[in-house]
Amino acid sequence: MLSRVANNLFWMDRYMERSYGLLNLIKTNYNSTLDSGDYSSWNNIQKTYMGIYKSKPNDEYLDTISIINTMLFDSENPNTMSNIVIRARENARSVQEHISRELWLSVNKYYLHISNENLSINFRNSDPIEFVNEMLQFNHIYYSVADITQERGNAYCFMNLGKYLERVVQSIEFLSLRIINLNDKDQKLSESFFWKNLLISIGGYQLYVKTYKSIFNVENIIEMIAINENFPRSIRYSIIKLYTHIERLNNYNKLNDRQLLFHVGKLKNSLQYSTIGSIKKIGLQKFLDEIKHDLNNISLHINKIYFSQSY
Amino acid sequence: MDSIVNNYRQYHNTWDEMFTEEGSIRELYTEFGSYLESVPVENLNKMQEFSKQFFMNQGVTFTVYNNKKGVERIFPFDIIPRIIKEKEWKIIQSGIKQRIKALNFFLKDIYHEQFIIKDGLIPANLIASHPNYIREMRNVNVPKNIYTHISGVDLIRDKDGEFYVLEDNLRTPSGVSYMLENREITRRLYPKLMPKKKVLPIDNYPQLLYDQLKTLVSIDNPEIVLLTPGLYNSAYYEHSTLARLMGVELVEGSDLVLKNHNVFMKTAGGLKKVDVIYRRIDDDYLDPLSFNTDSVLGLAGIMEAYRQGNVVIVNAPGTGVADDKAVYTYIPAIIRYYLNEEPILKNIKTFQLSNTDEKNYVIENIDQMVVKKTDGSGGYGMLMGKSASKREIKDYIRKIDLKPENFIAQPTLSLSTSPCIINNELTPRCVDLRPFAVFGANGISVCPGGLSRVALKKGSLVVNSSQGGGSKDTWVIKDD
Repeated sequence: MLSRVANNLFWMDRYMERSYGLLNLIKTNYNSTLDSGDYSSWNNIQKTYMGIYKSKPNDEYLDTISIINTMLFDSENPNTMSNIVIRARENARSVQEHISRELWLSVNKYYLHISNENLSINFRNSDPIEFVNEMLQFNHIYYSVADITQERGNAYCFMNLGKYLERVVQSIEFLSLRIINLNDKDQKLSESFFWKNLLISIGGYQLYVKTYKSIFNVENIIEMIAINENFPRSIRYSIIKLYTHIERLNNYNKLNDRQLLFHVGKLKNSLQYSTIGSIKKIGLQKFLDEIKHDLNNISLHINKIYFSQSY
Repeated sequence: MDSIVNNYRQYHNTWDEMFTEEGSIRELYTEFGSYLESVPVENLNKMQEFSKQFFMNQGVTFTVYNNKKGVERIFPFDIIPRIIKEKEWKIIQSGIKQRIKALNFFLKDIYHEQFIIKDGLIPANLIASHPNYIREMRNVNVPKNIYTHISGVDLIRDKDGEFYVLEDNLRTPSGVSYMLENREITRRLYPKLMPKKKVLPIDNYPQLLYDQLKTLVSIDNPEIVLLTPGLYNSAYYEHSTLARLMGVELVEGSDLVLKNHNVFMKTAGGLKKVDVIYRRIDDDYLDPLSFNTDSVLGLAGIMEAYRQGNVVIVNAPGTGVADDKAVYTYIPAIIRYYLNEEPILKNIKTFQLSNTDEKNYVIENIDQMVVKKTDGSGGYGMLMGKSASKREIKDYIRKIDLKPENFIAQPTLSLSTSPCIINNELTPRCVDLRPFAVFGANGISVCPGGLSRVALKKGSLVVNSSQGGGSKDTWVIKDD
């Protein structure tokens, strides 16, 4: 497989995963403002996900609607939903010979849906949750179509590298932005809807309740998002997946480079032997910084080995 | 009865593919005619809408950039197929084979011994001064002696009902993916009619192409790649479709590297040798060391690898000298010279404006002429004497006088018309026909039918997609 193609497959899935995370975030934050009336939460989100640093008072429901509208459709901002999907589709277009026909159709339909000019006009007259749910359907279709139609080969592995790398980054962001600064004495911690919305935004509410019943505290959340083996959005789960696909790629392409596998394997194992106690001991911030550092190394190696070889 | 068929108004003095001059339906369209009479026009509109949606969803599109915003466009498609009898097709097919064979001999000759010039059939300066004659190709022995692997010959049917060759396209002609997609959609539009009409299949074109490309090298599993200028090229859809259907890698210039005069591609598993390159970029951009030095689309040094026989380039560089409008006039002579046969397909009468007598004749009769630049394509830079204003004509003649050898003229043709669904009506529009031929060590094969291009503007003769043209499916139906 061509290095350029591998790189484009990687980014196709990375953008799709990003769009999925963004939509969920929009949906749950909107949902939580309905409970809390705290519209200022948008400022943080716009800063992190859109690169918009001007914080506004945002004290109205109508502000919320126009913020969501911007996050979905602003063509000037490269981080909006429509621009992310356009790039995912552009990547898909350049690798059509390597993805299943059905997968291409699903990305192309998403693109046609989101670039239809009437869509943003309709948004103003719809319920934002319903509207976002409709978009999420395209992501769900994408994941399932990839699962049942994409051959398990180089292409599938590169797609998964993109997907899980993006997912780890999202989970780290989640912990470092929304959890780390939670003050135990904060008033909102006593509101159960705060915890519920927080967990729903990362898709872990059900599992949390099953695992920890209704005892909400910061430690449990960190444990679930960092090192739970079965939570598909946990850092550990994503790293295990990264390891699997890198190992397969090594075999497919008969590469002798063990360095990449070494780095991922090391991270995988260190997560396996981490406990909430050990995380607390070194501090969440440091724990996350170390993972970020490792991820950086892994990305560099992926780039060097697969995408940008120089001869 | 008042039906869209009865309301059909033919162009004057023009051959219509479906109707005779008296207005009755030609035999090969009988079933199709009764179908059109029976079906409400709303249904046809729905079918037209369905096909538009189909092309959109499949991504059979090209992107137009307006204010930095990309808009997806489809090439317009008309749902009424153009039908050709197998008997007639066989003549077209053998005519095309004959032409390609002769042109291939011609290319080999002018890049080697140049007998045809020495025998005085073609003026030496026509070749020597030709912008597409590539000196780097002199005395290069091309694999299996084939230059014109893939070609598309543009045909039109004049008012006498005969096919004439308008142009030979020997430089990576496009449109074959539209031929395939058009068939894909018509199959679904006419689920009952098509099987009954016994339409000759075309969907094996990618396999045919692959098999022929394979014959160019004597390796068991050669690495064949398709070289594209990239995602933003208007024909990118075609490049990626062909690569996908043939199961070969679609590469860009930057994916290729040269090592010891061999071409390799950069893969996730390291370098991989490339044996055959079906390139969809022009000669000019192929190799910055030999041609356009600014080009980043090709690969520096690829021509040397080619000359050493380490890689096959398809089509061979330098075929442009055989398909331009100045050489066109000589093709009947070329066929007689190399094959000792009479041309099966006719040429259109063409005047060389470098010849003063012919130039004067053309200028006197300019209202009946189409004047073209010899190196033009895509329908640009031509003068339609019939519709041009006095001023336009005057300006154009001044250009001709400056460099008459750059121009040729042909009498205004009447392209045949084929019925189309436009604004709820069945209405005639001019069509041409571009069949695709593939030349490999196994000989020449022509895909039955081809792309029928339609001039969608009323009365227009210009079928080029860049100027408001569309296309139709082409059915070659088996004789009973």
